[in-house]
Order: sequence, then C-alpha cells, then structure tokens
Amino acid sequence: MAYTTFNRQINDQLKEPMFFGNPVNVSRYDQQKYGIFEKLIEKQLSFFWRPEEVDVSKDRIDFQNLPEHEKHIFISNLKYQTLLDSVQGRSPNVAFLPIVSLPELETWIETWAFSETIHSRSYTHIVRNISAEPHKVFDDIMLNEKILQRAEDVTRYYDALIDGINLYQRCGEGTHTINGETHTISLYELKRRLYLCVMSVNVLEAIRFYVSFACSFAFAERELMEGNAKIIRLIARDEALHLTGTQHMLNIMAAGDDDPQMAQIAKECEEEAYAIFRKAAEQEKDWAEFLFKDGSMIGLNKDILCQYVEYITNSRMQAIGLKPIFSTTQNPIPWINTWLVSDNVQVAPQEAEISSYLVGQIDNEVDGADFGDFDL
Amino acid sequence: MPSVRLNQHSAIEFDGTDANLLCALERHQQQVNFHCREGYCGACRCKLLSGEVRYLTEPLAFVRSGEFLPCCSIPLTDISIEVP
Repeated sequence: MAYTTFNRQINDQLKEPMFFGNPVNVSRYDQQKYGIFEKLIEKQLSFFWRPEEVDVSKDRIDFQNLPEHEKHIFISNLKYQTLLDSVQGRSPNVAFLPIVSLPELETWIETWAFSETIHSRSYTHIVRNISAEPHKVFDDIMLNEKILQRAEDVTRYYDALIDGINLYQRCGEGTHTINGETHTISLYELKRRLYLCVMSVNVLEAIRFYVSFACSFAFAERELMEGNAKIIRLIARDEALHLTGTQHMLNIMAAGDDDPQMAQIAKECEEEAYAIFRKAAEQEKDWAEFLFKDGSMIGLNKDILCQYVEYITNSRMQAIGLKPIFSTTQNPIPWINTWLVSDNVQVAPQEAEISSYLVGQIDNEVDGADFGDFDL
Repeated sequence: MPSVRLNQHSAIEFDGTDANLLCALERHQQQVNFHCREGYCGACRCKLLSGEVRYLTEPLAFVRSGEFLPCCSIPLTDISIEVP
C-alpha cells in the first residue's frame, strides 16, 4: 500500500502495531499505546544542547602538542564518529517514518534523528577549532578505507529495508518487473528486514559509539582535549537514550503482543542477530588495531580497547535477551563510567566558560526613565 | 531495616544512609556496572530473586520482569539480588 502523509481512514491508533499498520493521521498524544516513547521524547527534549555552548578553544593548543600517533588516534576517532552520526541523522527518518503506525513512536523517531544532527554539527565545531583546514578532515572520510569498510556494515540493513519499502509501497507484495529487472517482496520479508535493521542500529548505538567514546574520554582523563570530551559527554548522554529506545523496540517486537509475526521473526533471526553482534565486535577490534597502529596512548591501548569491545558487547547482548559471546566480565576501563554519569553533565554556564552564556540576554525590565533621552 | 542478599551469599543492610540501592552496593565495595544513574540507560540492570523494591523515579530503560535497576530504587522488604 502507498504511503500517505495523512491517512484518511478513521482508525483506533491504540490497536495499530508499531510498524506496518495504517500510516499515522493525527499526531495525538492524549492516548498512547506505548507511553515509553513519549517519555523518551520528553527526556530527549530536556537534554537539548548546542555545540556552540561548549568552548573548545583550549583543545587547539592541546592538539598541536599531541605526538603524531595520538593526533592520528584523535582525528580518526572523530572521523568515525562523524560517519556514524551522518548515518544516524538521516536514516531513522527515511527508513522508519514511511512504515510507522503510532504517533508517539513516529515523533520519537523524529526527535531521535534530530538530536543526531546536533551531534554531526558538533563534529564540525570541533574540527574547525583544531584544524585550519577542516575540509581535509571531512574529505578524507570518503577516502579512508577503514572507515568505508565500517560504513558498509552500518548502512547495509538500512538500505535493504528502504529498498524493500519503496518496492512494497509502489507495487505491493509479489514479483514485479521494473526496468527489466525482477524483484520480489513480501510483507513478511519486509518485517524481517525491519527487525534486522533495528538490531543493527542497536549495535551501532550500543557498541560502536561507545568504543569511540572510550577514545575521546581517554584523552580527557589526561586533561587533554577536554572541550571535545564535554561535547562527547553530551553526545553519550543522548546515545544512552537512543539505545534505550531501540532496546524497547526490539523487546516489544520479540514479545509478540504488538505483532505476533514479529515475535516469530525475532526467533528466526536469532542466529543472524548473534552474527551482527559478533561481526560488529570484530570490526571494532580491527578498528582498535588501526587506531593504535603507530603507538598507544597513556591509559588506552589496543588490548584494553579490545577488552572493552568484548565487555560492552556482552552487556548489550544481555540487555536484549541474548547470551554473551565473550568471556570478559569486567570493565577494563572503569573510569569511563564517571564520564557517562548524567549528573556530571550539567555545569553552571559561568563555570564552564560557555561562550554563548551572555549572548542573547535581554533585560525585560523597562522603566519610563529609559526613554528620557529619546527624541522623535 | 531491609537486608540485601547478594548473589546467594553475603548480605548488606540498607540502613537509609544511601540514596538508592546502587549507592548502598558501592559503599559495600560491590562492583556494579553503571552509566547514567538516572534509570534511562539500563547499564546497572540486576536480577531481583526475591523481595520488593520501590522506584524513586520510574525507569525509562527496558526492564524485564525479574530484573530491576538499583540506581533509582530502594528495597521495600528484604531482597535477594543477583549482580551480573
């Protein structure tokens, strides 16, 4: 069935499944099938921040004084984060909005993707500050083999879902010949692609991002690149919320009350889910090798980062009801937790050297005397 | 004063000096994973084997039945928990 931006069919939204029911008509939140998504929206809005609020000017001096191999670690990590947020800033909208059926979930997806665009803009803020030639950093993302390899796996499930939705919404279920090519699509297959896509997004947010956060915070543990760490900390706070969102979606799908077919798909895809986690963990370990190829930094090296990959992979698998695949049970970098506590994120503006603190301040108190020397 | 039994052996007392169960566990040198400490990330998820807890703030993280988040809860009765 074709997508419509305002479904004319009168429906009981509380009886719609999360996805592949009727398209949403009225965006109403007076009634909610899953109140959790409304709560996530409110929390995300309460987290709102802008990159310009964080002063990163001291990072420029820190960066210039870093040894070459640490510059490589820092810049490569930043490029990888830029790739991840480039994908996350647009893909949830393109992939999920055409098939979502609940207003609160639809708005959560939009709120979620919007906050990712703030992350993307903050990387430009950071790169502009540390480099006189920011274009070189961004241009290299499209040329860097190691990053492109990751991009392939990060985007594959999104692209398969989007491609399937396009075909389904234009032509419906069945086998279709388009421009001489034969394509087959069924609703069941689309649901399977959706489940695997949400799983792969969960891996992106719950593992890949956290491996990159570890590198960012490792600099700040040595009181280097602290402006960057302040921004990454705000990003990490948002990501914790996003992965809670995808964990909820996965768990609702697997429970089957929402759509019994999804529960069956979740069972059938279990092997593939394990494979997605395993492959992501392997890739992140490869990435650790690339980061530290020219040397380690104090507090973090290839082995420690690989142990962290195993630890975080295990913990994220357990969160969605899968069994851990690695023997690591201890967090090898317990100091990262201090950077992830949300309490520590908010600091008084005057303490944090926030450059925009006094910008846009308006005095609302107006007295008649203020016009004393005013002539027409 | 509710007691908190950990992984089937040692028990600690929740005497009200700690704001929540996570703080109490940490004060007794128990290693519990955590991130946000506000109930929205779910990193501190533990198993609740017996007893009852009360949430100080309703968790946003997904919590399966039989699990709870120590970062935003206090024990109502004696409880027995499993820390992963």
